[in-house]
Amino acid sequence: MTSGVIEIEGLRKTFHSLRRGRRVAVDGFDLLVEAGQVHGFLGPNGSGKTTTLRALLGLVRADDGRMRVLGASAPEQLPQVAGRVGAIVESPQFYGNFTAYRTLRLLALAGGVPVGRVDEVLAQVGLADRSHERVKGYSLGMKQRLAVASALLKRPELLILDEPANGLDPAGIREMRDLVRGLAADGVTVLVSSHILAEIQLICDHVTIISRGRRVAAGPVTEVLAGFDRHECLVRADDLTRAEELLTAAGMAVTGHVDHLVVGEVADPATVSRTLGEQGVWVRELTPMRPDLESVFLELTGTPASPAVPRQVDGSTPHHDPAVGRQIDLDDFRGVTS
Amino acid sequence: MNLIRAEVERLAARRFVQLMVVLLVFAFGVTAATTLAGSHQPSAVELAEAQRQAAADRRGMELQHERCLARDRGEPRPTGEYTYLPPDCSDIDPGRRDQSPVAADYLSGVFTFTNQARPLLYFLIAYLVLFGFLVGASYIGADLNSGGVVNLLLWRPRRLTVLGAKLGTLLGAVLVLSVLASLAYLVTFWVIAQVAGYPGPTNAAFWAELGAIWGRGLTLVLLTAAAGFSIATVGRHTSAALGALAAYVVVWELGGRIVLQIVEVARPDQLMLSSYVSVWLAGEVGFWDNNACAGPVTGYCDGSYTLTWQPAMAVLLLLTAGLTAAAFTLFRRRDLI
Repeated sequence: MTSGVIEIEGLRKTFHSLRRGRRVAVDGFDLLVEAGQVHGFLGPNGSGKTTTLRALLGLVRADDGRMRVLGASAPEQLPQVAGRVGAIVESPQFYGNFTAYRTLRLLALAGGVPVGRVDEVLAQVGLADRSHERVKGYSLGMKQRLAVASALLKRPELLILDEPANGLDPAGIREMRDLVRGLAADGVTVLVSSHILAEIQLICDHVTIISRGRRVAAGPVTEVLAGFDRHECLVRADDLTRAEELLTAAGMAVTGHVDHLVVGEVADPATVSRTLGEQGVWVRELTPMRPDLESVFLELTGTPASPAVPRQVDGSTPHHDPAVGRQIDLDDFRGVTS
Repeated sequence: MNLIRAEVERLAARRFVQLMVVLLVFAFGVTAATTLAGSHQPSAVELAEAQRQAAADRRGMELQHERCLARDRGEPRPTGEYTYLPPDCSDIDPGRRDQSPVAADYLSGVFTFTNQARPLLYFLIAYLVLFGFLVGASYIGADLNSGGVVNLLLWRPRRLTVLGAKLGTLLGAVLVLSVLASLAYLVTFWVIAQVAGYPGPTNAAFWAELGAIWGRGLTLVLLTAAAGFSIATVGRHTSAALGALAAYVVVWELGGRIVLQIVEVARPDQLMLSSYVSVWLAGEVGFWDNNACAGPVTGYCDGSYTLTWQPAMAVLLLLTAGLTAAAFTLFRRRDLI
């Protein structure tokens, strides 16, 4: 493993409970985040994302594995680098009767940060006007902004954000996106976990996907997506039945739908229009189908959107379906880099 | 130092702490006001009459003791004298009494400092013990429950340092408040006695005894604050401390006591924490063992026994130290999820 801002190797964590028994949360997970990256950390509910982040930050004791943050072994040497790491973990929780200003002031005092920095970060996250209101009156989105402000307070070199867009309205999500981009532009390394996959695709240059406590994909976003590009095209034509016959006869893999066809393994979409045009079938729509992060995520984690199948957390389905519920091995994926 | 400063500010800003301080000031004010309203400075005549009655009572006690000794010497009792005399004359020896009658005992409607200082101090200590336990439990309980501890650990990832700073801050703050409150309390009532009551005969022994109660009381306040803090840390919630206290009182102090009586365990009070608390505050308490004289006993049987503050101190210290050690051990190893 090359040196990185965050290095996790073989992380394992099992929770034991009298009521719920033994539950493997993280099962040999690896993560590498290099300096300057905006790194997306994706996984279904219960896949081990938050446990991984908590273990990295010393809040949960790992059973096995090696972790390093900014070159320091975690959690043993975490105090040496804590001043350079800003983090929010899962839903933000604050003492409701304190104002946002007091909340951050106390953290600044405890962390040896100049109290003057409090006003700066409150302005940065858009809470300056309401900083002297009690936190219990805040919406979830405002609490989220306060959590981000607390992470920014110490001018971190590494920012770890667990679901930062949770509870934010569309404008807030855009502001958060701009904030992360701005921080990345300033050289801050950002690790962000989120369920809003479109957001991750917009702001992250690298991504790691976790499922059932294991890494199932990692690497630059473009590479991960490219690994799942089946070179498919969506085709609409004036005579769909004839079009399907012609394309099949031409040796293409065609899947028929009610109002369109999906043609697989098309290296050049012009082949489709030429094949049909030569036989007098006119193409009305020809759209290359590129995979997005959401479809890759759903395929990798075995969590398809299917209203007919009640899904358990982290993709387990009541019956085994090799197409959607399979446990995917790390080496199966072309997009994996390590 | 920054951490301590932040924790002091956090503690002082907590509404529950502020509410408890307001209640303390309110109770203090009401007690002082009613005392002031119900007391007057005794006139010279009232004082002289009270002193005369006290002297007469002291003389009567001495006479009774002398008669008892005369009986033991075999001298005949005076004609018409039928006062009960105990078998052991030392029982009525005025020199062995805790307190001889004084003028203050005969001053009606007059607040007498020397008579009232001890119960007043006990009341204050009881309040401060409650304050220490509740504030100690809620301070860490709310912080664990609201995510404050996690936020702090993201800044200072040294668990024992963080918990130690919180406990140290709590004990320091409770001690300062208790010292200030008790001094203000006693000084206020001393002034009330001076201007609208009667200070009473104070001497070095009186102040030493009051000081000892005060010192032991403050120690108890700190121990209960640490215990509340530790139980809430172990249980991760304020209510864990309150529940543990309620469970102990109901299950052991009430239920256990009944069971111990049924199975006729010797000296059951020795097994109750409340006994050691009262012994610690009073310095020494006598108990009676119902089972000591049960069954065939020949001759005189004395079921009484005394507990002193030394074993009480050992019990209370060991209990608090055990709870604190458990809290720190668990907190160091616990997954904060």
